[in-house]
Amino acid sequence: MLKINNFSYRYQSRKEFTLHAINLELASGEMLLLAGRSGCGKSTLIKSISGLTNDGEVGEKLGEIFLDDVKISSLSPEKIGVLVGTVYQSPDDQLFAMTVGDEVGFALENQGYDEAYIKDQVKQTLALVGLAGFEEYSIHKLSGGQRQRLALAAVLITKPSLLILDEPVSQMNPQGVVSFMELLRQLNEREGISILMVEHRVNELHTYFKRLAIMSEGRIIYDGAMEDAWQFLTGKTFLGLREPENVKLCRALNLTKLSSETEAVARSIQNECVLHPFEQNEATACVGQPLAVVKDLTFIYPAATEPTLKNLNFTINEGEILALMGFNGAGKSTLLNLFGGLTKVQKGRLELEGSHIAKALGKVGYLRQEPDLMLLADTVREELAWKNKAFSEANLQEFLQLLHLKEYANDFPLALSKGQRLRVVLGAMLAKSPRLLLLDEPTTGQDEASLHSIKKLLRNYKNNGGSVFICTHDVELASEIADRVLLLNNGEVLALDRTEKILANSDLLVQSGLVGSKLLDVSARLGLKACSTIEEVKKYVSPSTVGGQR
Amino acid sequence: MSVRQLWEGSDEDNFVRTLSGSTKLSCLFLFSILMITVDNPRTLFILFSLTLISHVVAKTSIYKWQALAVLLILSLWGSMFSQALFYAQTPRTPLFVLISPTAGLLGQITDGLYIYREGILYGAVQGLRSASMMTLGLLICWNSDPRQLLNALLAWKLSPQVAFMLVTAIRFLPVLASETGEVITALQLRSNSQSGRTAVLRHLPYIAKPLLARCLRRAQTLALSVVSRGFFLATASKNRGLWPRRELFACICFTAFVVAIVGSKFIYLLSEQGLYFGFFRYVYDWTKLYL
Repeated sequence: MLKINNFSYRYQSRKEFTLHAINLELASGEMLLLAGRSGCGKSTLIKSISGLTNDGEVGEKLGEIFLDDVKISSLSPEKIGVLVGTVYQSPDDQLFAMTVGDEVGFALENQGYDEAYIKDQVKQTLALVGLAGFEEYSIHKLSGGQRQRLALAAVLITKPSLLILDEPVSQMNPQGVVSFMELLRQLNEREGISILMVEHRVNELHTYFKRLAIMSEGRIIYDGAMEDAWQFLTGKTFLGLREPENVKLCRALNLTKLSSETEAVARSIQNECVLHPFEQNEATACVGQPLAVVKDLTFIYPAATEPTLKNLNFTINEGEILALMGFNGAGKSTLLNLFGGLTKVQKGRLELEGSHIAKALGKVGYLRQEPDLMLLADTVREELAWKNKAFSEANLQEFLQLLHLKEYANDFPLALSKGQRLRVVLGAMLAKSPRLLLLDEPTTGQDEASLHSIKKLLRNYKNNGGSVFICTHDVELASEIADRVLLLNNGEVLALDRTEKILANSDLLVQSGLVGSKLLDVSARLGLKACSTIEEVKKYVSPSTVGGQR
Repeated sequence: MSVRQLWEGSDEDNFVRTLSGSTKLSCLFLFSILMITVDNPRTLFILFSLTLISHVVAKTSIYKWQALAVLLILSLWGSMFSQALFYAQTPRTPLFVLISPTAGLLGQITDGLYIYREGILYGAVQGLRSASMMTLGLLICWNSDPRQLLNALLAWKLSPQVAFMLVTAIRFLPVLASETGEVITALQLRSNSQSGRTAVLRHLPYIAKPLLARCLRRAQTLALSVVSRGFFLATASKNRGLWPRRELFACICFTAFVVAIVGSKFIYLLSEQGLYFGFFRYVYDWTKLYL
């Protein structure tokens, strides 16, 4: 179906080739996950397959790409568009029309088909993606997940034999990812569409793909079975891929075989490790003084019939990381906005160090979901010192070191990679030494290396007495950095307890729209107490002496 | 209603929304000529009222009416006030003295600051012109599918690239509005003072850069998306030229009306330059009274 033969590409404005001798084949009806760090050439490869480097953007090309044995260079991007459907990261950026029906019919309209035929095809395609009956809906009324389905329908209408998806789930919550991936699997199985998905969240997607290709610096460095990739990835943290927790557990326990499958991991542990399934003493978290106190907090939006937050009561302690988790629409962002002073407290108390939150806003740092919108200066140096008179040159050097941004001090922040941009904003927040740091989904779309840096920064901040209130869907992140977890459901506190207790309770996680850690299955299979982190498993399992150090 | 929703097109089935893109753009173009041609404040006010009535017909939501009202008040008041202060033509009648020429240094520098009656009238005329065009423009923006306008521009043989760029601006208006709000919020959060957390105006100078960077990225993705969906294919043109006969006829009539107005104004202006023809006497009277 798709054959990339020794393909290299260099942009006219660059000296170096972005793609180097790429060789890749995709059979009809096959699903392939293409992973790699930001800037490794994935997007250029997608553009090349879609024929968008054929003309207009003149560059140097070597080798050839074939689509059903036809050279792509001989086809126009429009013709390729009929054969290859491309869905991008943000549905908002690719939708053009006002109604769902018009958006889906756009491609056929461009091909000059008559209205009756287009209407019929629109109906069929919408049914295919689970949006039957939405023809007359305004695209503005759709949810994020529905918009992504619509973007998919808009390219599926031409019945492409290959579907390319560029990080389509990076903005989705775990349940949204599951739902979207099930849809893709159905399309692949029922319609026989080949799927090439670009994404670095291998940990969440590995169960849907049998084959993985990994790109690094414009080269395909691995192309093979998903399960064999873990061995290959040993010692290659620089690739920035998020491995499944089971694989990380195998590494932590030095198991001979690395696997993402629960059954295989459990068998290896039983064969190679010594189990201590007796009850361990529960670690008691060192509790600091209460920093922020929330008492009987209720909030209702104007014109709303029901309160978004209902009678909340909890505290955030000094030197504590409290994770806020729950369904979309549970009231998490409203709660963070109240803490950040963007919304006024209506009923109840919200205090920071004994003062009303409105009088203590200077002590609160708030990083919102889109860090790019918070970048305002011309250089990283200026960004870190933005409106911060207390920030000295010595502080700046210390922060640049801490953020691993020393060599980028004079670079334009918006030109940095996604992870670096986030670190700059986070650094600017921390530079003001807030007492409480609010983070709204800070890890969305971040690769493993960037995640590692963020976790390190937060731990460092916490160890210096700072408190963090972090809103996240990422169960793995919460399990690694949070001291306690607050589950919010429909504006009410569903549960608030130590992280290991909450994240080990599958029922609570399901009620909050979260997907539990795979380690829970492994520990259950081994007959251990429910464990949600590798460190917990290690309390009951001695590392293998058979496998090597990884 | 969020800032984004305020700038999103209405999907309600109303008369304006069902009109073809060609009709909407023709009306906008012809109306702009009409507004430039007419100088009479009363006629301009009637035309302005017509644009407001069209919003009533289109069932514009109360939130959009509020936004429209703010924009109209600001533009009308701004135009009238600035012209009242700085009207330079003669004759001009001072209504109030704000700073007397004898009032110390300021008086000497400004040579006196007055509110001129003729300036207010001139400002009102200019303000009504821009307010009417803004009202009509927003009516079309709020009641049009970008595709509809795009097809109209392409049917008029405009280059697809240029047409796409023009229409993309409408497509991104809601997104831009929402992101402007987000950037201001981000700036509030990065402010070092308590008051900075709630201020809006003081942050405005810094919003351009993040917005521009985002817009460039979004525009690139949208362009890639429409290209791969065959937007520039020549085969599409046969479906794009359709202009409902009734609407076409109405537009022809409107064109004839605008041509007649422009013609009579032209004849009137010639008469002022000495080219006077007796048989045009009624036209001169009518133009002087109403245009």
